Amino acid sequence: MSPLRATTLVAGLLVAVLIGVLATRQSGPDQMRAHLVGQVAPPVVGTTIDAEVWDLDGQRGRWVVVNFFSTTCVPCIREHPELVAFAEDHVAADDVRVVSVAFDDSASAVEAFFRRNGGTWPVLAVDTGRIAVDWGVVAVPESYLVTPSGHVAAKVIGGVEQDDLEDLLDRARTSVG
Amino acid sequence: MNRRTAWFLVAAMVLGALLVAETAERPALTNADRVHDLAGDFACPVCQGQSVAESDAPVARTIRATIRSMVDEGATDGEVRELLVSSFGEDIDYAPRGDGLTSLVWILPVLVLAMAGSGLAMAVRRWQGGAGKGRSAVGRPVVLTGVALVAVLAGLLMARSVGDRGRGDTLSGEIRLSTRTLLIEAGVAGPDEAIDLYGQVLEIQPSNVEALAYRGWALWRSGAAEWARADMADAVDLDPTYPDVRVFRASQRLADGDPVGAASDLVVLDGLDAPPIVGDLVAAAHLRERVAGELARGGGLLAALELLDSGLERDPGAASLLAERGWLLAGTGDPDLVALSLVSLDAAVLAGPDNPYALAYRALVNGVLLGRPEAAWEDSEAFFGLRDRPTGLADLLADQGLGPER
Repeated sequence: MSPLRATTLVAGLLVAVLIGVLATRQSGPDQMRAHLVGQVAPPVVGTTIDAEVWDLDGQRGRWVVVNFFSTTCVPCIREHPELVAFAEDHVAADDVRVVSVAFDDSASAVEAFFRRNGGTWPVLAVDTGRIAVDWGVVAVPESYLVTPSGHVAAKVIGGVEQDDLEDLLDRARTSVG
Repeated sequence: MNRRTAWFLVAAMVLGALLVAETAERPALTNADRVHDLAGDFACPVCQGQSVAESDAPVARTIRATIRSMVDEGATDGEVRELLVSSFGEDIDYAPRGDGLTSLVWILPVLVLAMAGSGLAMAVRRWQGGAGKGRSAVGRPVVLTGVALVAVLAGLLMARSVGDRGRGDTLSGEIRLSTRTLLIEAGVAGPDEAIDLYGQVLEIQPSNVEALAYRGWALWRSGAAEWARADMADAVDLDPTYPDVRVFRASQRLADGDPVGAASDLVVLDGLDAPPIVGDLVAAAHLRERVAGELARGGGLLAALELLDSGLERDPGAASLLAERGWLLAGTGDPDLVALSLVSLDAAVLAGPDNPYALAYRALVNGVLLGRPEAAWEDSEAFFGLRDRPTGLADLLADQGLGPER
């Protein structure tokens, strides 16, 4: 084989590999969205708007819905009554807890939002940026279902509905056993 | 020194200078500088072609705040990079590390370039050597075209891979759009395109009240009433102090047969620090007068007068509002209120001697209700002397015998 042919062949192979790698690699947003499910939940620790310390690790043994929201986000406003209904349905059994984490919002706005729209679960509103980054939140609302062992069972992008949350919980319970 | 050695020395000097420039120790940065530099090294996860430093999206602000707090706590650049990549994926990093799969991004292009360059050099030399021997004259352009096509394809794939990380995933990552640019574009676009552009803004910033309000208005004008109502209601929920949406929704509510709702939006608008153009918009459309008229027709004279007075508090010399006020009072037929209506109508004509409503209404009150034809003719003449006069008013005056051909 002549040097020219050999060079052309190797170059061609390299180009093919490059094109193959770049064309088939997963795109960014998809990678981001799947990255937490099945893994240990990142920390959620902070002071609630009721001035109490809240730690996700302290909830082991219960299912937890971690909800990232903002008072100025339309889907968050729309999903709120669904979350209220979901939380109220599980108050008696105390098998699922809800925690809301404000995303790029002010504590006073969050307090007013909950006063106006109801919801008695813990709400973290101060210094929550690091929590959102740890969870890879890119846009609210985003919600996560955390198992009693502290693993992320599911991720919901966009507003939640009570029925869908119940379905998600049932399926997760079945798969966890 | 022969020619080849001279070229070699020049190349070595250039390479050396580049290496020194790249590796020379930089002056110590402040924390703020480091935060800015680091933020510029990461792509905003929901924007097209904008870095975390450039974007105003909530996630970019959150990431910037996190970088700032980590830097203040003494974290290294590597620790910041590790956190962001683990949370948002490798694609957020504008300068991925040269390990694992991403090392291909660095190695392969260099190798391909070197191989392609040497291959081309050899091919050219061979063709030059073969010139005159009649070898493959047709094949050369084909080979060159093939090489160029492969290079373009590889370049585009590379651009897509390292440049664009937005939801739209365009082929080249060069686009540097911001919500502000999109809003400006939407402002001059046709209705359908504007709706699409406002939608793009809302994908990046779901809480952008301007995009919601104007998309609602564009939808309303294009006949998608249901979606328009939802957008405008959401915009008001998001920011009750955004004046533009109050005007849009007042107009929508009036058209929906809800003058009470429309009036409440206009009263809220009066309490806001709205830019003058918003007031001009309301005045040009006679929105307040039309809402007040509907309220009065529905038996809500008091609410109608309150709405007009609310507007007059902001602009006491608004001739149209004064005229409408006088006309509504006169419409009651109550002698005391009719007399009172003249006070408003006199003020209206004084404030706007060329205001057609002020002239026509005063002519009608004087001529029809108070039996003062001389006073009525004067206003009627002035009205019909106007270049622009509402047809409805002209017909009304003519019907009452106050037309130009008396």
